[in-house]
Amino acid sequence: MTLLLSIGIFGIYSAALLAIGGVGFTLQFGVTNVLNLAFGSLLTACIFIEYGLTGHSTNLWVAMAVGAASGALISLLVGHVVVGAFLRRGATGIGIAMVTIAISLIVQFSLEAIQGPFIFAYTASTPSTFSIGGVVVSSSQLTVIGVAVVAMVAVHLLLRMTKLGLAMRATAADVSLTRSCGVSPARTRAAAWLLSGALCGVCGVLLGIGEGSFSSSTGSDFFITLAAAAVLGGIGKPYGAMLGALLIGIVSQAAAAVISPSYKTIAAWLILIAVLILRPQGILAEFASERELVA
Amino acid sequence: MVYYLSGLAILLGINLIAIWGLDLHFGLTGINSFAYIVFQAVGGYAAALTALKPPAAYGSFETYVGGFNLPFPLPLVAAAAAGALIAVPIGLIAMRRLRADYQAMAMLVLSLIATGLANAQTKLVNGPAGLALIPQPFAGVFTLSRDGYNWIFLGLTAVCCVLAWWVARGISRSPYGRLLRAVRDSESAVSALGRNPNALRMSVLITGGALAGLSGGLLVEYVTAWGPSSWLYPETFLFLTALIVGGRGNLAGGALGAFLVPILIVEATRHLPAFGYPGLIDSLDWVAIGAILLAFLWFRPKGLLPERKRVFRPAGGGPGAARPRAGLAGGRVESP
Repeated sequence: MTLLLSIGIFGIYSAALLAIGGVGFTLQFGVTNVLNLAFGSLLTACIFIEYGLTGHSTNLWVAMAVGAASGALISLLVGHVVVGAFLRRGATGIGIAMVTIAISLIVQFSLEAIQGPFIFAYTASTPSTFSIGGVVVSSSQLTVIGVAVVAMVAVHLLLRMTKLGLAMRATAADVSLTRSCGVSPARTRAAAWLLSGALCGVCGVLLGIGEGSFSSSTGSDFFITLAAAAVLGGIGKPYGAMLGALLIGIVSQAAAAVISPSYKTIAAWLILIAVLILRPQGILAEFASERELVA
Repeated sequence: MVYYLSGLAILLGINLIAIWGLDLHFGLTGINSFAYIVFQAVGGYAAALTALKPPAAYGSFETYVGGFNLPFPLPLVAAAAAGALIAVPIGLIAMRRLRADYQAMAMLVLSLIATGLANAQTKLVNGPAGLALIPQPFAGVFTLSRDGYNWIFLGLTAVCCVLAWWVARGISRSPYGRLLRAVRDSESAVSALGRNPNALRMSVLITGGALAGLSGGLLVEYVTAWGPSSWLYPETFLFLTALIVGGRGNLAGGALGAFLVPILIVEATRHLPAFGYPGLIDSLDWVAIGAILLAFLWFRPKGLLPERKRVFRPAGGGPGAARPRAGLAGGRVESP
């Protein structure tokens, strides 16, 4: 019983982290139609920037604000400027994949060159712990879950209640029709890169604080699990990513608890491969893969 | 110095074989081979496990399956065979009709899963610590100095290179090679003419995989150790960058890339006077590789030696028609 409860609680905690990053990743893909394989490296960059700027005096809200701002900025630079330039030159699928991977290598190994291959830890605060039915949970993990819920509600309201959200959903559905309605696709895409980067930054900071330590490869490892959540839910669908995050979070915690901790990530990655092979459109929604890539 | 240079020449040869194999996949056929390093890794493990004695012979300080202690050419044959075999499961994923970027992600994940499994299954290939003390070919046959042995190994590498060159050139110039290019350039045309693009892809995955396996086997026999940290997923992009820099779709381009990227940038800088913490030069190498890949994709996506255009013109037809070559049917010739 305690085992099930702990799988449930830590599954929801993993899902909370995955949902924040996964929604950012998938939303940007839906609007811009670019699969950003550098997302994981950007996530690490956000952790390092936040750690460098605010350091050990971890006021969570300041840390998240710094992470979100830096993430939005880098994401706009990398996605809208660099990838956008390649798209305007007519680069296609495999070319864009190589561009984002090259960016990912540059960012990840620049961080390693600057910071060294060390593991950094948030040492200042020893989080208080609670016991829920025999399962010990730290306050920072509960905070992560709380922030994720707030962020998901905020994304929902943005998509459903604002002009920008409407423009994003419209661009994801049909670019030319959206353009003929007087919405600038370029501006909407820039907004998507910004929003995705901000969520990436929040996710990175929470990941660093929740896990307590990080290194220059944290983001790239986490990214694959996050991509599994996004793909499982149907890539480009923010609500699908939330559902996918919940499933992946619980399955990976179950694999860690039942088989061995080293299978926590492998389980998620196997799900990703299986979904890509068997049902690349994800468990939700119709397929929108035949859209062409445009800047 | 002589030892250093002959060592570099050996590594150049090993990289050459690997890059020609990748060129068969990516350059010639246009297969998204972003898990290419797995072929090399599997070849390396196959060579190691067939060359090593059983674990007990070394006091069981490492655990692995196999340990057949086979004599010289057999571990390399096993390496090539293993590289060819692993092409089948990888090919089943590469065959799926996915968007190119989805497929890129699937291949990256495949590479990561392979690393994760090699780390998690400590009984199989000694987990994260990797295999060590792998016997070299002719060990104990000659009593040679370190320098002398390097020359022998260089000769062996050169023989393998010539073999790889012969295979890759043969494929590239044959009608089969033209079919592979057609799969890359227009899959629907290949299907319309009654050929099965997926069978063609699988066949070239197997051939290229065998070359990668052979290069992995040679590498393992040369450095005598092999572990999951030797074949992390970025290594694929070392080869890919070499191919993009040199020029994909032609052997000379691959060779130039093999010299410029893995040798000049990675191996040569490894011997610079050390500065900073250990590993700083490696990190900077990877930054340079990412930057070079990006720069070439922007400024010269066809590479330094672009693949020559192959144009079909009717024989004796309009202006600029090529001289007909003997033995080509249908009155159509391939102009040089």
